[in-house]
Amino acid sequence: MLGYLISEGFRNVFKNKKSTVASLVIMCATMFIFGIFFAIGENVNHMIDDIEKQQGMQVFIKNDDSITQEQKTQLGEQIRNLDGVNTVVFRTKDESLNQIKDSVFKENPEMVEMYEGDRNPLQDSYVVTLTDLEKSEQVKNAIEKNDIVDNVEIRSNTINTLVKIANGINTASIVILVLLVLISIFIITNTIKLTVHARRKEISIMKYVGATNGFIRWPFVVEGIIIGVISALISIVLLGFAYNGTANAVLNLLQTTALPLGIISFSDMFGLVLTVYLSLGIGIGVIGSMISMRKYLEV
Amino acid sequence: MIEFRNVSKTYDTGTEAVHKANFNIEKGEFAFLVGTSGSGKSTLIKLILKEENPTSGNIIINGKDTTYLKPKRVPYLRRSMGVVFQDFRLLPDKTVYDNVAFAMYIVNATKRHIRRQVPMVLSLVGLSNKAKVYPNELSGGEQQRVALARALVNNPSMLIADEPTGNLDPDTAWDIMTLLDDINKRGTTVVVATHAKDIVDKMKKRVIQIEDGHIIRDDKKGGYNSEV
Repeated sequence: MLGYLISEGFRNVFKNKKSTVASLVIMCATMFIFGIFFAIGENVNHMIDDIEKQQGMQVFIKNDDSITQEQKTQLGEQIRNLDGVNTVVFRTKDESLNQIKDSVFKENPEMVEMYEGDRNPLQDSYVVTLTDLEKSEQVKNAIEKNDIVDNVEIRSNTINTLVKIANGINTASIVILVLLVLISIFIITNTIKLTVHARRKEISIMKYVGATNGFIRWPFVVEGIIIGVISALISIVLLGFAYNGTANAVLNLLQTTALPLGIISFSDMFGLVLTVYLSLGIGIGVIGSMISMRKYLEV
Repeated sequence: MIEFRNVSKTYDTGTEAVHKANFNIEKGEFAFLVGTSGSGKSTLIKLILKEENPTSGNIIINGKDTTYLKPKRVPYLRRSMGVVFQDFRLLPDKTVYDNVAFAMYIVNATKRHIRRQVPMVLSLVGLSNKAKVYPNELSGGEQQRVALARALVNNPSMLIADEPTGNLDPDTAWDIMTLLDDINKRGTTVVVATHAKDIVDKMKKRVIQIEDGHIIRDDKKGGYNSEV
């Protein structure tokens, strides 16, 4: 019984080869274009995650002997309680100086040593990391309200640009997805309409013999699903090749920016892309067949 | 078994095809539905098959009022009636056997049941030796027999035939009518819409005549024209 319905579905796929091929091509193109945006979006999000983990802001405390240790501890608590803050670490000015001595002035530490002790011009600070980069401005403003804070430094340009890019890509992906899904549904609907038309006599006989609408519809739904699934599989192979082809070029480009960024390998994305593609393919197939059958099931 | 109570049907175009039709075809009866083309004969058939819904009145089939039957239930109503048409409506890419088996697939019959039942109906209509043949290799009469086998294979309690002999020569037409009579004698209610005057006169069955949407005659053992 189920076998009968599925084999009928396969028969439909081959009944109108030309229009089946046409829908396959268009659905593949659709999924491929969407896949490109999806992959870029995933990568930008991934980069932002990386930056969020690595970078945050440094809160410098005024060099004023009247500021008590208690006030500094309070500031730390205040920062910790802000929305979007991940970790807060206190760094004394001595620690900062030592860090500079060990990194920038590694070759000639004597240049720094003269500033050790009371002559240290650096400031005590808090190193803050964030859970959500979009909140960095908000966190910064909140911290600056505290009187003992001298200034807050964030690498705002990189962060803001990336967040903007990510938002742009996400919006574009959604718009493109909606448009392409609509186009695909239209195309697949037409293809299935052709088989429905070719088999209208059979459908009318089925109705007179007492076939339920569900029974009549199934082979066409199967046809839609088959086209959808084949498109999904072709598209993921195409996307895989295209992705791996451009990945190296992008990696080289990233190295020149000196930013601590990497990109996702296609195999890490594979599961997600496959799921998205199959749901798209099956969804479009089912909706398309339902639409194309509507007229013929009325009687 | 098939009862019309004050049934009227007006199409969206404004034509009144059936006007206050009343009749009751009993279980096991054989009835002709006669009338010129455009008289409303086809609309009556469509109303029985629930292809069209009446504008007013009630249609009772097998003791159940189908007037307000949900569209979802219509397939189950149709399983109680076999239908044949003037143009046979066979599937050209299926063999005689498969054309008949097709009607059983649709109602979820088991393979075993199909293998037993199909040869039985084919022998009933006299086509046992043509099971593997395609419809285009058959004569018109034989094609109508296949359509009859398909209509009967699920053991419906009634058989509705819309101009079943319209495309056949007189001898073949008579053969088909005899077959319909045999089927009726086995207990199936048979309703035949036709304008084959000679046959109706010869068969001496119940005749319901419709003209301009009005039932003008309902004779228990009539001929095509009232004066006969």
